[in-house]
Amino acid sequence: MPGPHRRHFGRLTLDMRQHLSPWKQLGFLAASFVIGIAISVAVLDIAGIAPPTLLDELAGTLNADSLRAVLVQAAPLVLVGLGASLAFSIGFWNLGLEGQMVFGGIAAAGISIYAIGPEPARIVIMGFAAAAGGLAWVLLAVWLKLRFRVNEIVATLLLNYVAMYFLFHLLYGAWQDAKTAFPQSTPLRPFERLPDIEAGVNSGLAIAAVSVVLVGWLVRVSRIGFYMRFIGANPGMAKVIGIPTRAVTIGVVAASGAAAGLAAFVNIAGQEGRLTQSFFNGYLFSGVLIAFLSRNDPFAVAIVGFLVAVLYLTGQTLQVFYQIPFTIVQLIQAIIVIAVASSEFFIRHRIRWTR
Amino acid sequence: MLEFLINWFANVPVTAAPYALAALGLIISERSGVLNLTAEGLMLVGALAGIGAYLTLGGHPVVALLIAMSAASIVSLLFAGLVVVLRVNQVIGGLAIVFFCQGLTGLIGVSAHWTNRPIAGLGKLTLWPLSEIPGIGRILFEQDAVIYATVLIFFAVNFILRKTMMGLKLRAVGENPAAADAAGLRVSLYRAGAIVAGSSLIGLAGGYISVASVKLWVTGMTGGRGWIAVALVVFARWAPWPALAGALLFGCIEEVVPRIAAVGIRVPQYLVLMTPYLATIAVMIWVGASERGASGMPGALGLPHVREERR
Repeated sequence: MPGPHRRHFGRLTLDMRQHLSPWKQLGFLAASFVIGIAISVAVLDIAGIAPPTLLDELAGTLNADSLRAVLVQAAPLVLVGLGASLAFSIGFWNLGLEGQMVFGGIAAAGISIYAIGPEPARIVIMGFAAAAGGLAWVLLAVWLKLRFRVNEIVATLLLNYVAMYFLFHLLYGAWQDAKTAFPQSTPLRPFERLPDIEAGVNSGLAIAAVSVVLVGWLVRVSRIGFYMRFIGANPGMAKVIGIPTRAVTIGVVAASGAAAGLAAFVNIAGQEGRLTQSFFNGYLFSGVLIAFLSRNDPFAVAIVGFLVAVLYLTGQTLQVFYQIPFTIVQLIQAIIVIAVASSEFFIRHRIRWTR
Repeated sequence: MLEFLINWFANVPVTAAPYALAALGLIISERSGVLNLTAEGLMLVGALAGIGAYLTLGGHPVVALLIAMSAASIVSLLFAGLVVVLRVNQVIGGLAIVFFCQGLTGLIGVSAHWTNRPIAGLGKLTLWPLSEIPGIGRILFEQDAVIYATVLIFFAVNFILRKTMMGLKLRAVGENPAAADAAGLRVSLYRAGAIVAGSSLIGLAGGYISVASVKLWVTGMTGGRGWIAVALVVFARWAPWPALAGALLFGCIEEVVPRIAAVGIRVPQYLVLMTPYLATIAVMIWVGASERGASGMPGALGLPHVREERR
């Protein structure tokens, strides 16, 4: 029958879900995560790593040596993840984690190069200097935002490039290792390296673990955590009811930068042993991914950080043995974020077919 | 001195064109209410697609640029799907696309062996006899085809946004999607269309860098230009002509610094490379400090439209 209702065979309608049980939410999250992994496996297959090979390589990481390497890699990832989650939870898009790492690294290496402080305390001074370096660099963006209303997304991203070129300026100039003539600083002295807590695992892991507990206490137990939840939910309302929005924002974002600085310290005084021109590469997106997947929860950050470390190690293996560019790690992370972000839609909406 | 000025200004359009095109693409998308951070990634896609098409399809620069535009548009469908259909947070969605593109182009560029292969690329057009005018001739009438096209594209986009029904509807969707929806406009369609159309210009900007300007592909070659374009949109208050002026200003700054060094004033190399980013931040401070009342920002920028939540 002709007419406007000719094609009436039903349609999709969307309902807003008022509530979905945490278990079902977790189910959607897990399902989307699996889809993301499946797409990544397909991409790897196209790039020349057949799934059986991949499985072999992953199985190969199930030994004590690889576990140690993963734990070493997890420490800086958890720290940048904490940094990202702190800032994101109050709605400050700190996308300058790499720049903050750069200045954290420069501060730590500077303490070593100019031999500041007594030798036994040197490593501690370096740690504090790194945190202060990251903190100072993020405060610049905070100041730009609060004083001049400069959007922090653009400001923090641009400051990453400024920090990177400043690092190059040092590494191709005054701080270059005269012995090797490579763009890297002279190696740290043995007492300036993080001591091992177990053979092959340096104390960076302990720093990360303590940070997780401290941030967990901050956001879950302390009064500041209560303020943060308010600011994250509704900054205007938070201000009206008398929460010191400005002070909490400055403090929390400063802590975010300090965490990034500590991540740099763990990298330089741990794995790298010197200031290099690439020690911060890729940590921005990993930080964003960890914060996003863990929904800014510090304890979830620890778990996701560990998983991303597994991904990093797998990526390194594929690079060494199969000549797959390391950017594949970034691609896989992006695919997983896209998949998980899409799942939110199904958590918040119910799709029905109505006639 | 005159020689210095002519050399300087003659090179400005090549540096300014990618900023101008990318910013214009972002303006189209953001005028429909979609906060678009994808430029850095889509420019890389355009740059790689341009080089890839040039190397594999027999070295036609125009074909390469058209493919650069299409490639960026196709990838932007993913962004449109995320933020328009699935209503993902536009900051997270945009960032995810940028990192997706960085990873993808890095992988393909190396796997397909397109890295570090110089090409002849797009040549200059000499508009004789205008090019014989002393000074101005070299600056204005000895540029490549994309430079001239950019000017036309700006006229066209400005006209569409301001004078046509389609432009009015697009802006309505960006200012107040609920009202536009009630008036019968298909908000999602306009937003997706604006993203895809804008992204073709962002792809052209990327393709221009690799095919006409640098004439080479290296991983991550856009080097933050996409982020500068994002800042340029704020500086231009979401209007096309100020964006073009801003792009020219950035072109002037970026071109003058190496020339100062060449004249013999010693400036540390890596500190020189900071200038575009520092200049952008300076401009953002100026915008923030001089903001009076309306900023020109689309009313619904960054907010997903959910009909079921309409009040």
